[in-house]
Amino acid sequence: MSSLALERAVEARAVIRRAGWRWTLRQLFRKRTALIGGAVVLFLIVCALWAPDFVPYDPFKVNTLNRLKPPSAAHWLGTDELGRDLLSRVLIGARFFVLVCLISVSIAASVGVFLGLIAGSGPSWLDVAVMRVIDVMLAFPYILLTLAIIAILGPSLWMAMISVGIAGIPGYARLVRGEVLAVKQEEYVEAMRALGAGPAAIMVRAILPNVASSIIIYMSFQMPLAVLAAAALSFLGLGAQPPLPEWGAMLVNARTFLRTAWWTSAAPGLAIFVSILALNLLGNALRDVLDPKSK
Amino acid sequence: MSAYIARRLMLAAPVVVGILLVTFLIQALIPADAVNTMFQGQLSDDDAAEAIKVMRAKYNLDRSWFEQFLIYSANILQGDLGESIRTRQPVIDEIGYRYLNTIQLTLASLVIGAVVGVLTGIVAAYKKDSWLDVTAMTIGLFGISMPAFFFGLVLIFVFAVWLQWLPVIVQGWQSLILPALTLGLIEAAPVSRIARSSMIEVLSREYIRAARAKGMSEATVIFHHALPNALLGVVTILGLQVGNLLGGAFIIEVIFGWRGMGELAVKAIQWRDFTITQAIILMGAGTYVLVNLAVDILYTWLDPRIDYSAT
Amino acid sequence: MKKHWLAFGALTAMLLSGTAMAQQTDTLRFRIGEDPETLYNVNTISLSANSALGDYMIERLVHIDRSGKASPLLAESWTVSTDQTQITFKLRSGIKFHDDTVFDAAAVKAQFDNILDPKNASPVKPFIGPLKSVEVIDPSTVRFTFEKPFAPFFNVLAGPSFGINSPTAVTRLGRTYGRSPVGTGPYKFKNWVAGTEINMERNPNFRQFRSDAVNKGPALTEKVQLRVIQEEGVAQAALETGELTAAGLQADVITRFANDPKFNVVVAKNATNLVFLEFNMKRAPFNDPKFRRALSHAIDRKAAVEAAWSGYANEALGPLALGIPGFDKAVVDRHAAPFDPAKAKALFAEAGWTRVGGKLTKDGKPANFLIKSYAGFTHIERTLAVVQSNLKDIGIETKLETADWGAFYPSLLRDEYDMDLMRWTFNDPVVLSNLFRDTGHRKVLMPNPDIDAILNRCDGLMDPEARLTCISEAQKILLEQMTIVPVLTNWIVIATQKNVEQYNLDFNGALIAADVRIVRR
Repeated sequence: MSSLALERAVEARAVIRRAGWRWTLRQLFRKRTALIGGAVVLFLIVCALWAPDFVPYDPFKVNTLNRLKPPSAAHWLGTDELGRDLLSRVLIGARFFVLVCLISVSIAASVGVFLGLIAGSGPSWLDVAVMRVIDVMLAFPYILLTLAIIAILGPSLWMAMISVGIAGIPGYARLVRGEVLAVKQEEYVEAMRALGAGPAAIMVRAILPNVASSIIIYMSFQMPLAVLAAAALSFLGLGAQPPLPEWGAMLVNARTFLRTAWWTSAAPGLAIFVSILALNLLGNALRDVLDPKSK
Repeated sequence: MSAYIARRLMLAAPVVVGILLVTFLIQALIPADAVNTMFQGQLSDDDAAEAIKVMRAKYNLDRSWFEQFLIYSANILQGDLGESIRTRQPVIDEIGYRYLNTIQLTLASLVIGAVVGVLTGIVAAYKKDSWLDVTAMTIGLFGISMPAFFFGLVLIFVFAVWLQWLPVIVQGWQSLILPALTLGLIEAAPVSRIARSSMIEVLSREYIRAARAKGMSEATVIFHHALPNALLGVVTILGLQVGNLLGGAFIIEVIFGWRGMGELAVKAIQWRDFTITQAIILMGAGTYVLVNLAVDILYTWLDPRIDYSAT
Repeated sequence: MKKHWLAFGALTAMLLSGTAMAQQTDTLRFRIGEDPETLYNVNTISLSANSALGDYMIERLVHIDRSGKASPLLAESWTVSTDQTQITFKLRSGIKFHDDTVFDAAAVKAQFDNILDPKNASPVKPFIGPLKSVEVIDPSTVRFTFEKPFAPFFNVLAGPSFGINSPTAVTRLGRTYGRSPVGTGPYKFKNWVAGTEINMERNPNFRQFRSDAVNKGPALTEKVQLRVIQEEGVAQAALETGELTAAGLQADVITRFANDPKFNVVVAKNATNLVFLEFNMKRAPFNDPKFRRALSHAIDRKAAVEAAWSGYANEALGPLALGIPGFDKAVVDRHAAPFDPAKAKALFAEAGWTRVGGKLTKDGKPANFLIKSYAGFTHIERTLAVVQSNLKDIGIETKLETADWGAFYPSLLRDEYDMDLMRWTFNDPVVLSNLFRDTGHRKVLMPNPDIDAILNRCDGLMDPEARLTCISEAQKILLEQMTIVPVLTNWIVIATQKNVEQYNLDFNGALIAADVRIVRR
């Protein structure tokens, strides 16, 4: 039963774009920030899919004679504490970055949007019930929930992604619910109802398109948070298990060398930073295109 | 308004009950418990079997999750939070000071984040699209992309080892500085963005132009007329972040040795000390309800158009 | 203008306070990695509690001297009965607890009664094995009665878990005794800021009876502060700024401090810890000693030592750590399975494994195993990484799974894993019985009558010489069976500030606190 103002103030309110997605994409291409962000994201996806084919070294081969070597011509980003080439590990690690973004956001968005939709457009008892459930999820301390899930199901990158995803559900639910409640009162929806359209039709044809752009913008900002949350779990040794070159885990393990071998932190740190920056740039550009009010 | 508050508090009750039910259900699913962990060095469980049985009975671990839930609920209604399984001391001793510490850190970080964020946002909005704006927003992006533990460690090395402005092992109130700075500066990033976009939107409104036409000073226009409306978005985002700060600051707490709830939560789960985790969950839920209420009340103060008597 | 001066003044004050603390010579500041859950040794077996108690505040009846033998401490002498089930101790007189009550046989009896009492559910109880009862013969004589001869008793007795607490204080404080312990040691408890630090001050009535201590009177430094610092990087930083008098070092930074003239580095190589690979013998092929032996040949221990400890560790080839009295180098050298990929390949072939497409295969199934271990320690992670890499080279694929200790250790009782990387620290050969007798400490071993027989025999041999011979035989049998694959034993490395003198460790690697002093420069 949080106030409407909460939902209203949170993210950009999309205005219906009758011209549709093609117009949006064309606008997007015009912005330089979107191009930069998009290029980086594209590169990430390429790495995620094909990195094993073009990495210079085996990212898992332990070579204790080659430990902690600074960046050089042979190893562009240096080697880590087990002698593994950092460039190769970072490139392979892109796949986990993409995975974390996709999986946790998919879980959070699919369940959250569904809950938000039925809460906003269903009968009021359903709204109250769903919001209670959301409240319970939000009131439960995130860290305990995550650790408990991992305690039950075992530590792994997948568990980390799932628990980060679950923790993200309430955000989407609230966002969508608010949007739905606002759109429900618009005139054209009243018109549709007067013309005899059923609730499902209204939901699909009128509500979803409006809500979609907000969801997409919200996603682009949630992804970095999901990545950082997964990295936080690596801090406790509960995320990606060794020897996976997940960037968050690499950064966590490199912290003992912060001063003696700065490149072991710089490599994953830069990777994380650049990727999150790209996502933010894309998100910014999307918002600028889809919501003229924030210009 | 007081009727509204009373209603909200009453509606919070089922949430708390729901949370406790979920807590005991989840606990039942967790494979080990504190008693097992305590006797981890037990090299022959036969020797320790008797001891384990005694301890389990003492903490009701041998009953069904629902029975445990009922017993616990009855106890807390009488104000008894129980005893930590690991230290055998009253839970309230453990949690009391940690809760206060967490509140301290949260408030300090919120203040730093709000002040730095809002000021940056105002400046960026006012000098929109200038180099100042771009720089501010770029630095802001750092805040969003930076893992907190990394930033914290860097700050320790910069301030304590390199500059030597602060000792590494800090005593008293000074120990709040670095962790609050770490969290606060990271907080300031999203706050400045929202403040900036809110300010931009507000500054373009009719009544601002009217105020300027009337000849009011820029300072009055910005701080008296524009800011309160722009703050709505800021309050929202801060309200959302409070949950994160309260729950997710455990890494900062571990690194800086700040005895807070986050660190306790992690340790309690690792030790499977369920009486502690139950208390943490309870306090977390209670705080959540109160914070939500506070945020909503803050809204009415900031935007008189919002009226709750009808809801 | 005024504001600038204020800020300047505040900064200066902070600067001064930081440096002032570094110059204090009356306080030893040490680090502990976690806050002990209690300081009552009957209720805990945690390392943090026991080192806080055992190094400073409480004393035991005996101590382990420089030659590794049990020597008198609070007990003056002892006699063992002819049937070896009774030990009678003659206690020193004139010793007082920190609360001025008298240390006597009644105090000793009270300590052990508390451990034995089932109502206390003491996790320490299993360590004293067949102890039946403790009786007071007269105020300075106390008798221990066992159900059967228990050879490890003296080493066990030298551990901090069996330090003597003041029975008066225990009775008076009851449940809160664990928050303010009272012993006879060189330092007495002052206060404990929960989660942050433990403060102690000099016991003026202390007399030192250890044979390995330099200073025979009260402690040389007035105060001790144990500071809880969980994060390695922060502990390092504190050591650098001089805020810690000394700190144990993790491998990665050792070389930096070793080369820095502002610090001394103390290295104890005779450590009693052992990192080893254990097996779930309920699952093939780990029930096959040949396979286990082949695995031992496949592990490059030198690489593990390098990666996990920057060289500050010993390759371990036997089931007993080299610092534990009874370690027999000759036996180990003769029967161990050191790194030798050629021998490994040969043994795998003998056990029926062939190399197909780069992977070891048997009956058509390629080797793919799950190794579990515990999280939170970089050296374990690195050792795991090396093991995984070594096995991959041989053609064995492995999956790693780590969880924090509280989840990991109990989970080993369940069947769903193949191997685990374990680390165990103990100062007596009875550790072999504790870990490997019958189905083992996690109940996944195949009981072996030879192993059980020899271990049982060793535990009952009260004569030290006979026991040592027996332990050598035990090591031989365990190596023939390759019950575990030992990997390494890490040295204890501690960096101290340059102005610290007489920072001496005893045979077990514990600090002789009363000797330490800080010299003013």
